Amino acid sequence: MSEHPETPVPPQEDGELDRRGFLARASAYAMGAGLVTSYGCFAAMAGRYLYPARPAPKAWMYVAEVAGFGVGSSLTYTAPDGATVAVARQKSAGNVDDFIALSSTCPHLGCKVHWEGQNQRFFCPCHNGVFDPSGAPVSGPPFEAGQSLPRFPLRIEGGLLYIEVGLEGLPTGEE
Amino acid sequence: MGISSWLKERIPVSGDQLRELTNEPVPNHLRHWWFCLGGTPAYLFVIQIVTGILLAFYYEPSSRTAYNSVKYITDEAAYGWYFRSVHKWGATLMIAAVILHQMRVFFTGAYRKPRELNWMIGMCLLLLTLIAGFTGYSLVYEQLSYWGTTVGANIGASVPVVGDLSKQMLLGGETYNERTLSRLYIIHAAILPVLTIVLLGLHITLIRLQGVSELKFSSEKEGEPAHFNFFPDHLLTEIKIGLVLMILLSVLATVLPATLGPRADPLSTPEVIKPEWFFYVAFRWLKLFSGTFAVITTGFIVFTMFVWPFIDSFLRRRKGLEEASVWVGILAVLSIVGLTVWEAAVAH
Repeated sequence: MSEHPETPVPPQEDGELDRRGFLARASAYAMGAGLVTSYGCFAAMAGRYLYPARPAPKAWMYVAEVAGFGVGSSLTYTAPDGATVAVARQKSAGNVDDFIALSSTCPHLGCKVHWEGQNQRFFCPCHNGVFDPSGAPVSGPPFEAGQSLPRFPLRIEGGLLYIEVGLEGLPTGEE
Repeated sequence: MGISSWLKERIPVSGDQLRELTNEPVPNHLRHWWFCLGGTPAYLFVIQIVTGILLAFYYEPSSRTAYNSVKYITDEAAYGWYFRSVHKWGATLMIAAVILHQMRVFFTGAYRKPRELNWMIGMCLLLLTLIAGFTGYSLVYEQLSYWGTTVGANIGASVPVVGDLSKQMLLGGETYNERTLSRLYIIHAAILPVLTIVLLGLHITLIRLQGVSELKFSSEKEGEPAHFNFFPDHLLTEIKIGLVLMILLSVLATVLPATLGPRADPLSTPEVIKPEWFFYVAFRWLKLFSGTFAVITTGFIVFTMFVWPFIDSFLRRRKGLEEASVWVGILAVLSIVGLTVWEAAVAH
């Protein structure tokens, strides 16, 4: 094989790149960037794959006729996900603000509160959170943080009361 | 051709080379077993891997099957109760051993220059061990483990900025759902062990590269050799500790076997709820303050522990506070013990 004559390279000042050096460095950077991008893509796809594909399904479900729901009365509604919800009517204005449907999930760390009839309060056994009958915090971490018991969304349509609840629950009791 | 020469041809390592590789001079203070606590979690980790693999043969990670599969392991599989109990007690002892090892390193100042990075790796191993304890307990799918997971995930959600994302990634949804258990299982049985093996490898490599930190006792006579051989002297000590641990685990597993509480009920939190003992501190802390404050302060304390070698160096060099780490350590131990005992002593 014959050797190609070397192209004469003009003398470079210190710290200045010649064309070959520049190309070598640029291709190294390009290769590095390519690797980071491709593996980064892979990692991002894996991250998205692990993130839940969809929120838990919810639906508006029928609860009761507004006309037959007296002020001061309440009923227990069982949602498709198994949650039992106390729905109460407190006012007689005839709109949705008359009703409340308290969630039994403590806003602190997600435990279920218990109704203590003798103390007229909801009590969370996990971190001693206490709520009054309207769900307002009385003591414990929820009081410190100003967190009330969450309420299920309600709406009235055609004289009927609807509640938005979860559809998927975990199995309960022995299989 | 004999078997040994056949093997030597294929594995060209001589006995001398092997001896040189393992025969690190071990400082004399490691003749006392209480200075050998670093090997204890590593030994227990191996026990956890072996018993964990055995449990995995029957465990089924789904909310419909998990509880019954644990029940099958406990009540029906031959020696299933024993392997499950050893796994449970192994976790308890491993966490205790990691904490005791860390206390020994802390109070003897063994984390100081040039071992700061190894202290930080050790902190990561402590956190991995605690997370393994948390995820492992959640797999049983009994009432307390279910609610422990719910509370744990919501604690994660209280972390500013990344809280909600961490909860979604842990539970695979906004709340505990059908896909949660398999996620916890894979974290517990694949991700955490692999991470632990990698960090343990790094931890031990750094110990070998830097050597075990030297301690000199006033009772030691001048002129005596300051070191002894790793092989076989120290190895024999470790084997003895391993045997004692195995006996202890078997006794605990037999006398106090792992029990099975009521099956998880996502609609009802038990009247008295407690996490495993090693989270009593955090649980009590969460009762004392609002969620976000408790989580931020816990994060701050963990961060301080991570960078303590640098804080200690600053206090000693710039402020001349030579004894600061001892007093901080005593305060930390008293606080941890105090909060743990407090949580253990009361129902709520």
